[in-house]
Amino acid sequence: MARMKFLCDVERCIECNACVTACKNENEVPWGVNRRRVITLDDGEPGEKSVSVACMHCTDAPCAAVCPVDCFYTTTDGLVLHDKDLCIGCGYCFYACPFGAPQFPEESAFSQRGKMDKCTFCAGGPEDDNTDAEYEKYGANRIAEGKLPACAEMCSTKALLAGDGELVADIYLKRVMQRSGRPDTWGWQKAYGAGV
Amino acid sequence: MSRYVPLALALLAPLLLAGCYEDVTPTNYEPGVYKGETDPLLEKLESGDLREELDQRFETAATDR
Repeated sequence: MARMKFLCDVERCIECNACVTACKNENEVPWGVNRRRVITLDDGEPGEKSVSVACMHCTDAPCAAVCPVDCFYTTTDGLVLHDKDLCIGCGYCFYACPFGAPQFPEESAFSQRGKMDKCTFCAGGPEDDNTDAEYEKYGANRIAEGKLPACAEMCSTKALLAGDGELVADIYLKRVMQRSGRPDTWGWQKAYGAGV
Repeated sequence: MSRYVPLALALLAPLLLAGCYEDVTPTNYEPGVYKGETDPLLEKLESGDLREELDQRFETAATDR
């Protein structure tokens, strides 16, 4: 079975931050937590590149490998999700993740950390699908409704792609052929491995 | 009347004590084994219908027009 993937085409990303806004709006992400953000490399210089970054749902997820309470699980589609009832907010996953995806809301004074929060590929969590409990903890579950992540669907230039990895790769390959340049798949190899 | 008080208390006591019950069974840690709730989405994703729906959505939303 093919796996669900994110891919940001850096040649198309215009740093509009619509994906960030769509994510925040769809999931009602609290202040201080950014499940997705746009990074600009060489900002202000000729040839600058922007890339939209969130959890890449890695094939061999380092966050899951270091979690001391094993709160992570992977769906058959390769989505890396977690159970906030098990999470102890230790922050190991934050240090392990190469993309800075795990976020920790500030619970109270003195910067006390809360449970880890990250992109769920709009697939919610282990609570019953599309219930208030699931929405409060994990945000929207668009996948259960047959929809794809809001960030990718909102992308005006279609720079951000989210879906079946084979379909994503096909579209990206066509674009690279049309542009007749070299592929520049930011983060792909790190998240999914060279042979994927 | 006073003789019924101990009887009433005896009947009430188990109910009150039952209210104080708390399941203290700990979850035993095993490396690499997820022991949380099962996500109902996993079962839905097994069905080809949802996958097909998602793929069609992707073709509609992500391909260039």
